[in-house]
Amino acid sequence: MNVVVCVKQIPDPADPGALDPSTKTLKRDGKLILDESDSYGVEMALQLVDAAGGGEVTLVSMAPNSEVGGLRTALAMGAAKAVLVSDDALKGSDALGTSKVLAKAIERAGAADLILTATESSDGYTGTVPEMVAELMGLPSVTFAKSITIDGGAAKVQRQTEAGYDDVECPLPAVVSVTAGVVEPRYPSFKGIMAAKSKPVDEVTVADLGIDAGAVGWAGGGQEIVEVAEAEAREAGTIVEDDGEGFQKVVDYLSELKVI
Amino acid sequence: MRFAPTEDQVDFRDAVRALLADTCPPEAVRAAWGGRVGEETGGGGGDGRVRAAWSALAEMGVLGVLVPESAGGLGLDDEDMVPLLVECGRAALPDPVTATAYVAAATLRDVGGEVADGWLPRLAAGEVAVAAGPLGDAPLAGALTADAFLVGDDAVLRWIPAGDVELEPLESVDGSRGLARLRGAATAGTALVEGPAAATVSAAAADRAALGAAAELVGLSERMLAMTVAYASERRQFGVPIGSFQAVKHQLADASLAVAFAAPLVLRAANSLAHGDPDAGLHVSMAKAKASSAARTAADASLQCHGAIGYTVEYDLHLFMKRAWALSAQAGGPDQHRARVRAALGLR
Repeated sequence: MNVVVCVKQIPDPADPGALDPSTKTLKRDGKLILDESDSYGVEMALQLVDAAGGGEVTLVSMAPNSEVGGLRTALAMGAAKAVLVSDDALKGSDALGTSKVLAKAIERAGAADLILTATESSDGYTGTVPEMVAELMGLPSVTFAKSITIDGGAAKVQRQTEAGYDDVECPLPAVVSVTAGVVEPRYPSFKGIMAAKSKPVDEVTVADLGIDAGAVGWAGGGQEIVEVAEAEAREAGTIVEDDGEGFQKVVDYLSELKVI
Repeated sequence: MRFAPTEDQVDFRDAVRALLADTCPPEAVRAAWGGRVGEETGGGGGDGRVRAAWSALAEMGVLGVLVPESAGGLGLDDEDMVPLLVECGRAALPDPVTATAYVAAATLRDVGGEVADGWLPRLAAGEVAVAAGPLGDAPLAGALTADAFLVGDDAVLRWIPAGDVELEPLESVDGSRGLARLRGAATAGTALVEGPAAATVSAAAADRAALGAAAELVGLSERMLAMTVAYASERRQFGVPIGSFQAVKHQLADASLAVAFAAPLVLRAANSLAHGDPDAGLHVSMAKAKASSAARTAADASLQCHGAIGYTVEYDLHLFMKRAWALSAQAGGPDQHRARVRAALGLR
């Protein structure tokens, strides 16, 4: 069984992020790391391939400056190879532009039985890319998977809901987004870290994927960031001195809100 | 000579740092402390081990770094191992990684033979813990949970499976030390090396024990300073963070300087041991003397800058501080190692 996992390499959340004032987008010129939310997809893919008794996990990523830091982490965990799309033309890509690129890159990665993604990235949070990729590839899509089992040509998925989970089934190949925290991502072993350095990373440009540069990046974006402003500070609360009747003020306040 | 870490060594270090941040937080170190839970001494009801961290380290390959590939290890050297011991110090991991995966693994690798063939694969797999030290009356850290002991002097180096020797438990300022003295070690277990060769092998084991402690001290010092800088940036007095006062700033700058000078000496000594430099012992003593003094400076500055809260057993700082006190005296204190440096330089 071959699984493709879409992974994003993001600025380290431990370092305070900064916006580029000219583009009003997040600066991504420093070292990038594997988005933690993607490590769950990688782990789940490795477990599914193990359970199937064969096949491999391929990573697909889109990142500036030929960045492979985050890919090496996932390769050290056990993924076999990666496709990296890195091209200046991709700067400013919106969710749809990103999805077009990922869809083509997934095709380039070879025939996949299953495509896994996180539900959303930890730096962009649009949460729409997995479904767009599925639509562009003409594949079924299941979101918010907390567990996946493969049964013949179908994926049986427990799909997380507010109340619990739904059991859903869909034919393969499919695009499934995986929620964070559902599996315990393995620590890369030292052998894995050393081996990752020699695993193949197929670096391609937009042209290599047969995509018109005008359809992605700022040029192809259906969005423009007009302004970035500080979030409004929260207003100070009301302080009530308790003179023994303080509870009444709380009751009155809750009644006013029609909570009680 | 180049002893800056390679790309692999940086990746190994980062992986171990992340693993220990998850598996050995201060709560786990506290729980590893002996004594009744919640006792005034900081007791956590533990036995000096954080087994979740130990087994994760084994799985990652850390415990087999020096074990030959034929015995299930990675066949790497001191320069790969020592930066990982800095990380063990940074997390105040109480488990005997230095004694087991550094001192015992390197010694068994070098002497070979039946004992090595039997034990090295188990060391790499994390199945056994070792306590190591001089043969004699000296207290051994981690002795209470050790599966085997490696003890030596100029005449003999012995490998003693637990159970073949009697233990006399001892108190330590650090409640996670698992400290004990061995009774009857001189005739117990197997003699790995005897005669004139024993002096060389025992000295190498002692050097690695000292360097491992120095590496842990660097990690402990860096952690204490990071905790204190964070505290001094947040705690306010007279309307400003206390870190803006010169009296606080200068203490932390002095401690930071001491640690910054000790850390490269530790890496240099690892390079010397890995390459069989004839001055390796001198370099180890320079590293241990500096790291011990730096850790004491860092502990003093941290305690002082934290004010009264630094004294409380509920506060995490004491876990790191007491380990630093214990390790600065272990495998030779700063005076002993300075004396060795003086002698090597032909000074009185």
